[in-house]
Amino acid sequence: MLINPVEKDQKSIRELELATGETISDCYQCGKCTAGCPASMDPAPSVLIQYLKLGQFELARNAESIWSCMACLTCSERCPKNVSPAAIIEGLKNLHLRDMDPRVNLETMSRDFIAHSPQMAIISGFRKFI
Amino acid sequence: MSDKPVRVPYYPGCTMKTKALGFERSAMDCAEVIGFEMDELKDWNCCGASYPLTKDNLMGLTAPTNILVEAERRCQKEEVDPNLLTLCVFCYNTLKRTEYAFGQDKKKLETVNAFLDRKYDGSIRVIHYLEYLRDVIGFDNLAKMVKTDMSKYRVAPYYGCLLLKPKKEIGLDDPEDPVILHNFLDALGCKVIDFPAQVDCCGSYLVMREPKKVSKLSYDILADANEYGAETLVTACPLCQSNLDKSQGDKVQFADLDGMPVLYFTQLLAVAFGLDTKTHQLEAHHIDPRPLFEAKGAADDESK
Repeated sequence: MLINPVEKDQKSIRELELATGETISDCYQCGKCTAGCPASMDPAPSVLIQYLKLGQFELARNAESIWSCMACLTCSERCPKNVSPAAIIEGLKNLHLRDMDPRVNLETMSRDFIAHSPQMAIISGFRKFI
Repeated sequence: MSDKPVRVPYYPGCTMKTKALGFERSAMDCAEVIGFEMDELKDWNCCGASYPLTKDNLMGLTAPTNILVEAERRCQKEEVDPNLLTLCVFCYNTLKRTEYAFGQDKKKLETVNAFLDRKYDGSIRVIHYLEYLRDVIGFDNLAKMVKTDMSKYRVAPYYGCLLLKPKKEIGLDDPEDPVILHNFLDALGCKVIDFPAQVDCCGSYLVMREPKKVSKLSYDILADANEYGAETLVTACPLCQSNLDKSQGDKVQFADLDGMPVLYFTQLLAVAFGLDTKTHQLEAHHIDPRPLFEAKGAADDESK
């Protein structure tokens, strides 16, 4: 892994910070976010943030685990440095979604799910995956 | 309570009119007993369900602002306290965080106002039904209205995430060690089952993409409540209710756990008040809570 990030990655990380309002370098890797994460994310939230701190933007952006975040906000609530991993993860997801790269296919979505789920699940899902 | 019921402006949200109809109806019936009226806004839209965590796009705030404008106009016209009552936890979280965001940053409010071509002054205070019971009615007063002996019910209070988090913006209770539902159940006279998983996430909207993971998370919560001796669980969130209740249909995951009814806290309040629960959609639950109510009722008769 390159420790000295390329300029393109540095620019993307600055953009991510602007979009989320977070300061990634504030993280001191205590791991509280990962310890409390109910989504069993792998790579875990603190690892994703460490990728970003090392300038490895693409590793964080392309991690499949970001799609398992449930925005329960446990990580953000417990962070002693006032960083919101949930917001950073949502920022990473939005980079895909804003590029028209959805993670749920509406055409193959089960009709049973649409018929029986609370609207809030469907609308939230649209916001987070499409 | 005074003779004339207090009218509180109320925002239902989409789920309350469809999948969680029993939540709304039971809440309205209980409000009538308590002495206030949930006065639904005339013109409302979906709040967007989840508050946007990225800060560079204000589009996610337009829908909740539209609702807050409507509530503000209603309150000014009728000269009532600028409160907006909510039941659904997602709506509560989204509206409350919007209220907070505008309180912190007037420029955001100006931008959204300009976009919507409406004028929201920022006067509305978003409150949850539970908060109204605690702060306006008082749990001690609520206890005096209970008609049924609830001491036989062993109930686990389940909070989930968005009723409490983020604390700085919601401020309803401590997100790690909350008491509001505990105190509510205490007021009803139930045996309150304090259990470790009370603030664990049920999986939320992940049910759209990874239902298996939601089954597992729901199992962990229900198994924990069961281990601590709960017979039923109460929640304020229609998505928690749906996930915890419907996941129990996953017979592989739930092989070693008997069905546990998952109730809205107002459905239990209606039972405590001795109300007719026919319209509260108990039959719509995957795990039907009525046998539990009947068993408790029958035990009551025997003791007489």
